[in-house]
Order: sequence, then structure tokens, then C-alpha cells
Amino acid sequence: MYIQESIKTKYPPGDLALWIFICAELLVFAIFFAAYAFTRASNIELFNQYQATLNTDLALLNTIALLTSSYFVVSAIISIKENKQKQSTRFLFLSIIGGCAFLIMKMTEYSHHMSEGINLTTNLFYMFYLSLTFFHFMHVILGIMILLVLWLNTRKGLYTADNHDGLVSGGAYWHMVDLVWLILFPLIYIMK
Amino acid sequence: MSEVFTKSMARNIFYGGSVFFFLLLIALTFQTHEAWPERDNHENLTDQVRHGKELWEVNNCVGCHSLLGEGAYFAPELGNVYQRYGNSTDAIKAFIMSRPKEGIEGRRSMPQFNFNDEELEAIAQFLKYVSGINTNDWPPNIQG
Amino acid sequence: MKYESQSVAKLYFIAAIGLFVGQIVFGLIMGLQYVMGDFLFPEIPFNVARMVHTNLLIVWLLFGFMGASYYLVPEEAETELHSPMLAKLMFWVFLVAGALTILGYLLVPYAALAEMTGNHLLPTMGREFLEQPTITKIGIVIVALTFLYNIAFTILKGRKTVITLVLLLGLAGLAIFFLFSFYNPDNLVKDKFYWWFVVHLWVEGVWELIMASILAFVLIKTTGVDREIIEKWLYIIIAMALITGLIGTGHHFFWIGAPEYWLWWGSIFSALEPIPFFMMTVFAFNMVNKRRINHPNQPAVLWALGTAVMAFLGAGVWGFMHTLAPVNYYTHGTQITAAHGHMAFYGAYVMIVLAIISYAMPMMRGRKACNSAASQIVEMWSFWLMTISMVFITLFLTGAGILQVWLQRFSDEPMSFMVVQEKIELFYWMREGAGLVFLIGLLLYVYSFFIGGKERTVEDKV
Repeated sequence: MYIQESIKTKYPPGDLALWIFICAELLVFAIFFAAYAFTRASNIELFNQYQATLNTDLALLNTIALLTSSYFVVSAIISIKENKQKQSTRFLFLSIIGGCAFLIMKMTEYSHHMSEGINLTTNLFYMFYLSLTFFHFMHVILGIMILLVLWLNTRKGLYTADNHDGLVSGGAYWHMVDLVWLILFPLIYIMK
Repeated sequence: MSEVFTKSMARNIFYGGSVFFFLLLIALTFQTHEAWPERDNHENLTDQVRHGKELWEVNNCVGCHSLLGEGAYFAPELGNVYQRYGNSTDAIKAFIMSRPKEGIEGRRSMPQFNFNDEELEAIAQFLKYVSGINTNDWPPNIQG
Repeated sequence: MKYESQSVAKLYFIAAIGLFVGQIVFGLIMGLQYVMGDFLFPEIPFNVARMVHTNLLIVWLLFGFMGASYYLVPEEAETELHSPMLAKLMFWVFLVAGALTILGYLLVPYAALAEMTGNHLLPTMGREFLEQPTITKIGIVIVALTFLYNIAFTILKGRKTVITLVLLLGLAGLAIFFLFSFYNPDNLVKDKFYWWFVVHLWVEGVWELIMASILAFVLIKTTGVDREIIEKWLYIIIAMALITGLIGTGHHFFWIGAPEYWLWWGSIFSALEPIPFFMMTVFAFNMVNKRRINHPNQPAVLWALGTAVMAFLGAGVWGFMHTLAPVNYYTHGTQITAAHGHMAFYGAYVMIVLAIISYAMPMMRGRKACNSAASQIVEMWSFWLMTISMVFITLFLTGAGILQVWLQRFSDEPMSFMVVQEKIELFYWMREGAGLVFLIGLLLYVYSFFIGGKERTVEDKV
């Protein structure tokens, strides 16, 4: 267990504990996606009909927000590897903004659904749509909280070029949240 | 130098993950409360049914029977007994009354509880109310 | 034993084993009633025997958890117990309250017991596993809070380790979620829904924290593996247990009037519940393989490995078997559930309590580390007898359950419950046979405590 300590660039990057967690999370999402796909296959008309009521433009904007945010996290890690703490802090701040933008846009979408009286029990499509997106939504909130901690730590100068495992681990989690949305978006909003 | 797998990360995942999923459970529970009025047959929850539930409890019926599949598996499921007995509360009452005091030789038998008329009616009405709950089509057939 | 006050655990462990024997005796009575319906009727009807069987299980496991805490917390915190007197006092309070409750079940009709104890003032009785009179429930809360106070103050004044923190969290959760047993709405759907907040969040939630921390303690002591390694695995395993288990509660909400989306949420998350149990098995074997010492107490290691394997089989595999909604639609409320319940409880909770008893008891009885070789041999025999017979009980009940599902729910001409019960009688007879072997194993286990002789050293063969 200690052998790898001496190796400079280790694989996977970040903390193994976090990777176990990420795998478990991806497994949950994978099963959820599979359940969605199977159910959709046997209810295509219903799913297509209600898919049309979703706001694809907003979802596309959300995709861009998350992708940009992920890009800033990568930039933050690159900066820290060059020991530029100030720059890294700024990038992390931007990535948090990206995450918050996602939350705001998603909440507008939810409030629209709520005003129409749509909830988990409305029909099978909305059950899946709300379950999946809300489960992901909560992950975004958790991800932003992690980014906030990373931002504070970077500001305090806790990470250096030699020691930034926490930043890499937290960043990996944020990429996972992003990745899940990249599957979720076409699966729920686009796939016909 | 960093470790591959640190205790502090494991700890953070434990606390973060637990709080996260506990909040999710609360959110889903909240949503469940919203959905209940259409499913839980509360409009038929009369005082008589309430009395029936109390009798169901203080006689520990669930110690032998199952109700909506929960309880003991020694005696028949009662969530749909109202339908199984031809939508008749009288048939349910007659069965409960008919149980021999000393049991049946070599076989399982329900005890004789010596209920009065009013109690019998309450229990039967309780079982009728239960049969009106939306259980996602469970049990699979009338046998329970 | 490093601290004198650890010895209060001995009382708790002795009571636990005594009640365990009672539980099995009543299990055998019920098993016989399954095939000889009029056995002990109307003196001890099935429902009474069942209450005694399940309530004794809960009470003796609680005694076991408390004993385990009183033993391991002082050692981990490196200080004497906050108040050994209080621990002794609460032991007697709990034992007397438990005994009175059981006697109440056996001696008076349940309805009379309800009336005697004023159930109408705050109706909480008559629900599965929560049959205790309201006054007993209040007693349990008082005992649990006093116990928590004692443990928490011991931890606070001493060294804080991951094991004690996780244990404390588990115990606190146990006390908190028990409070849902006081909520008994008239609306049956709500009643059933929140009933699971006690039952599920106990056995598939906070109890797993208790189990994992006791297991971690026994492994540290018997393998000598570095605490750091064991503690981080402990964190990851219980994290997975709660991540999957909390929403996994949903697998109980399929058919009790809760909305349909629970079919999906419950299926998906509970399908992952075997993961933490699998990790626990891998973890336990890994630690034993990496051991730095050969501990002379072999049964303790055996129980620790056994609990990891059997918990995975019983809770993980047998749970997964019928947790998906389309399967559960047919198996819900059949002998399949009974099969799963038996092996899961034995594997996860009975065996972990026996593991800590096996590890701690010799030292509390004045030995250095373990019993004589002869005693260890008998104890390991009892391990195999109980474990193998439990596997068979589970297999026979599974057989009965599959047949029941087929005849009563799946075939073209479904038969009525009682007719089906007669058709699957053979399985019940075999289950009763396996149950008898289990009792023999248990009696051997008790006997192993009375075998003296010279303490075993690592060189002695077992």
C-alpha cells in the first residue's frame, strides 16, 4: 500500500478512496440510465410526447456552463502545478460561478414544471426526468460545496506544486458530475 | 508526499455521503407525503376503522398474518381478504366468530377472541379500508 | 484487559447468551407449529411464540452491542469507563424490564397486556417487532440514553479513535431512530411507512455502523494490522453502507401504498446494498492475510471472518435475490423473506456479537488472551454447527418460498394460502431439523465456556 508513494506521477490521480466513491456513484447513474432506456423503449410514444415539453435550449446552456466550469477546474490544477496560487484561486472561483449558473438555470426549469403541477407521480416520463435530473442536481450542489472548500484552501495557500492531492481529488469529483450530465442531456432531452 | 488512499478523504466521503443521501431520503419522503392523498384511501378512514386498527394491534394479528405483505407468514394475507371473501364484511365477521376455542386437532387455527358485535364490525371495516389502498397492484392475485 | 471497568461487559455478555438460548428454544417451538398446527395451542399460540422469538433476538443483540461498547470503548479511549456503577444499574433495569415484558407476553393474553400497560394512552403496540408495551419502549429509551451518556463521556475524556466515533454514531442513530416507534398514526399507510424508519434504518443503517466498528476492533486486536489501514477501510465500508442503504429503504415501500417511483428508487439503490458487505468480506480476509501476529484466540478470528462472509451471503446475496421490484412483486411476504431475514441477522449481527464475546470473554475471566485449546476446539465446532445449520435453514426456507410463490401466485390456477402451506410441509420439517442442529451448536457454544485447562499459546495446535 505504501510502495506507490515513491512514484512521482501516480495513477489514478487523487485519492483512491474518492475513486471508489466515484465508481459507486457512476454505477448508480448507470443503472438509472439503463432503467430509463429500457422503460423508454417500451413507452416510446409517451416519452417522445413529454420530452417535447422540455426546454432543450436551457439544457444546452447548462451543458455549456458545466463544461466551462470543468475547464476552469483543469486550469486551476495546471496553475497550481506551476505554483501560481493566485491564478488557481481565480480559476476555481470561475468554476464555482459556472456551477451556480447551472443551478439557477435548472431551478428556473423546475419552477416552470412546478407551476404546471408536474411532480414525480405525474407520469412515467416525468418520474424518470425528475428523478434523474434532481439526483444530478443534488450532486451539483455537493460538487459546488467541494469546490468552495478547494477555493478556500487554495486561497489559504494549502496546495503547492508538490502537494495538491486534495485539489485533484475534488476536481475529479466535479468532472464526474459533469460527465453524468453529458450522458443525461442527450439521453433525456435529445434522444428521439 | 501524498498517500494513495488517505483516511481524511475516506472520512469526508463518509460524512458527506451520509448527509447527502439522508437529505435525499427526506426530500423523497416529503414528495411521498404530497402523493399520499390520492392513494391512501384516507377518505374511508372512519372512527370505526380507527377502532378496527386498534383492535388489530392489541390482539397482535400481525403475529400470524401479513397485511400488505408485512407481518408473519403463518396465516393468510389480509390486505385483500375483503375481496377474497366476496366483498363481504359479514363473511369476515362470520369467519372470526367461528373459530373453535380449543383449536383444531393437528392443524393451525386462529384463536377465539370473543369479540362483541361492534368490535367484529370495526375489524371487518378496517380490513375493508385496507383493501382500498393503492398498492401498485399487489398482491398478484386474489390468494394474496 | 487493560482497564478494570471493562469487566462490566461480562454481565451483558452472559445475559446476551442466556437470552439467545431462549430465542432459539422459541424458534424451535414456532418451527414445530408450522407443521403441527395445534402444538401448545391455545397456551402458547404462534403469535406469542413469535413475539418472544423476535423480541428476545432484539434484546440480546442490544445486550451484545452494549457489552461490546463497554468492553472496547475504555480500551480504545485509554481510560476507565465514565461510570461503571451506572452501567451495572442499567444492566439490571434492562434485564428486569425485558424479563417482565417476555413474561407478560407468555402469561397474559396480549390484549390484556395492552390494557394493563395503558396502551390506549399512547398506542404503540401490536406492530411487528415493536410489540413491547409502551412503558417498555419508554424504558428502552431511558436505558439507551443513559448508556449513550456513559459511553459518550468516556470517549470525550479519553483518546478519540475512528472506531469509537463510528460506534458512537451508530449507537446514537439506534436511539434516535427508535423514537419513530412512538409514532403510530391511524392512517395505515403512514404507520407502515414510518415503521420502516425504525426497522430498516436500524438493521440496514445504523446497526451496520456498530457491526463494522466492532469488527474493526476485533481485527485490529487479533491481526495486529496497522490501525490507520483498518480505520480508513472502516470509513469507506460504512460510507457505502449508508449511501446505498438510506435510499435503499425504498425497497420496503413498493406495495404498502407509497407512490410508484419508489419501485425505481428502491430497486436501484437496494441493488447496490451488497457492495458494502462484499467490501467487508474482502477487507476482513485481507487484514487476516496481512496479519503481523498470530493471535492464540482462533475462534475469535473465525467468528470475525464468519460474520463478514455470512453477512455478505445473508444480507447481500439473499437480499439482492428478491429486492428488485418485479421479483419482489411475487416474493413479498413469503418464506423467501423469512429465509433472507434468518441468514442476514445471523450473519451480520449474531456472529459479530459472538465474535466480540469470543475475543473479550477469556480476558474478562482472568486469562491472558484466550481459552484452552480444548475449549477453543469445542467453540469452533459450535461455530460450524450453527453456521452450517443456518445455511440449511435458509436453503430450506428458500425452497419453501419458491414453491409457495409458484403455487400461490404464479401458476395458472393459484391455490389458497393454507393449501399451499400443507404442500410445502416437507421443507418446514427439514427446517425444523436444521434448527435442532443449530440448538446443539448453541449448547456446545455455552458448554465451551465451562471447559478449563491451560491457556493456549500460539505453538499449541488446535
